Amino acid sequence: MNKNHNNKFKTPEGYFENFNQRLFERLEEENDEPNTDFLPKSDGFGIPEKYFESVQLSIIQKLKGDSTKVISIKRFQAFYYAAAAIAALFVLTLAWNWSQDDKIDFEDLASIDIETYFENNELGLSSYEIAETVNLEDISIADIVDKNLEDTSILDYLDENVEDFEDLDLSYEELQQ
Amino acid sequence: MIAEEQFVLALKDKSTQAQSFEVLVNTYKERLYWHIRRIVLNHDDADDVLQNTFIKVFRSIEGFKGESKLYSWMYRIATNEALTFLKQKSRKLGISDNELQESLVENLESDVYFEGDAIQLKLQKALTKLPEKQKLVFNMKYFQEMKYEEISEVLETSVGGLKASYHLAVKKLQTYLTASD
Repeated sequence: MNKNHNNKFKTPEGYFENFNQRLFERLEEENDEPNTDFLPKSDGFGIPEKYFESVQLSIIQKLKGDSTKVISIKRFQAFYYAAAAIAALFVLTLAWNWSQDDKIDFEDLASIDIETYFENNELGLSSYEIAETVNLEDISIADIVDKNLEDTSILDYLDENVEDFEDLDLSYEELQQ
Repeated sequence: MIAEEQFVLALKDKSTQAQSFEVLVNTYKERLYWHIRRIVLNHDDADDVLQNTFIKVFRSIEGFKGESKLYSWMYRIATNEALTFLKQKSRKLGISDNELQESLVENLESDVYFEGDAIQLKLQKALTKLPEKQKLVFNMKYFQEMKYEEISEVLETSVGGLKASYHLAVKKLQTYLTASD
């Protein structure tokens, strides 16, 4: 190969040797597709024979049962109201009798009971839905955390517990910088 | 889009609901099953979660406002159902989420519905090391071949954030798989 003897410019050592590799890495990043040649093409999960035919039937049957249940509740709604009214009357009478002796308040519930209730009963709300329901302007960190947090404690926590850039919610562009 | 709007109306209309739901189940059962299976790993659990997902879709269709596409709404329900299922399972067993993941992968070795070889098993082990979100993104992109825009609608995350998650997931998997060869 002819060398250009008039060239006064220099390049870092090994620049041309690994130029191709760096170029392909850059192209790969720009295509947004990392190299996945080392990964198996399938995950190896199997299913029972004719599973999808049978699951279709099970789901449809369950849905039919579900819609039937809804109709039957509507049909007997009046009876439920009557039964609920009687039950409410009974509970109120009992509560009145009890209130003569010991009054039970919300504070009487052990916090462990409340926690157990939330653990065992599905709220049916995602964290996004909870965030939408709770007005963050009305609460402060002191409402959730008992002790005041020092800045250093927060930094120590992040240092020990945040493993990924993703946890810090950085965008792809920020990550590339 | 108009076709989807009409389909959603048919799902809400009592006179066409049953027939429309059959079409819905038939169209999405396989895709949702594989999405759920890759989260819960075990076939019987995936079967339970899939059925619960469709029941939840059926019960909630009245409230579906069409703000997102129907499939992404269903994927979101399936993802929540699967993750909730795992959380309840770990609580019942009294173990942490990570311990549950490890035991689920260990059980794959004797699972009659896991036909994977050593490298596929190793990949499942490697996936337990990833944060939940990265694992979801990886499975949806690599195995389900979903577009970033589709994943973005399901996970309600920006496309840029998803690309970063996918790149990081693949890099971590590569490190894990090649380091322990």
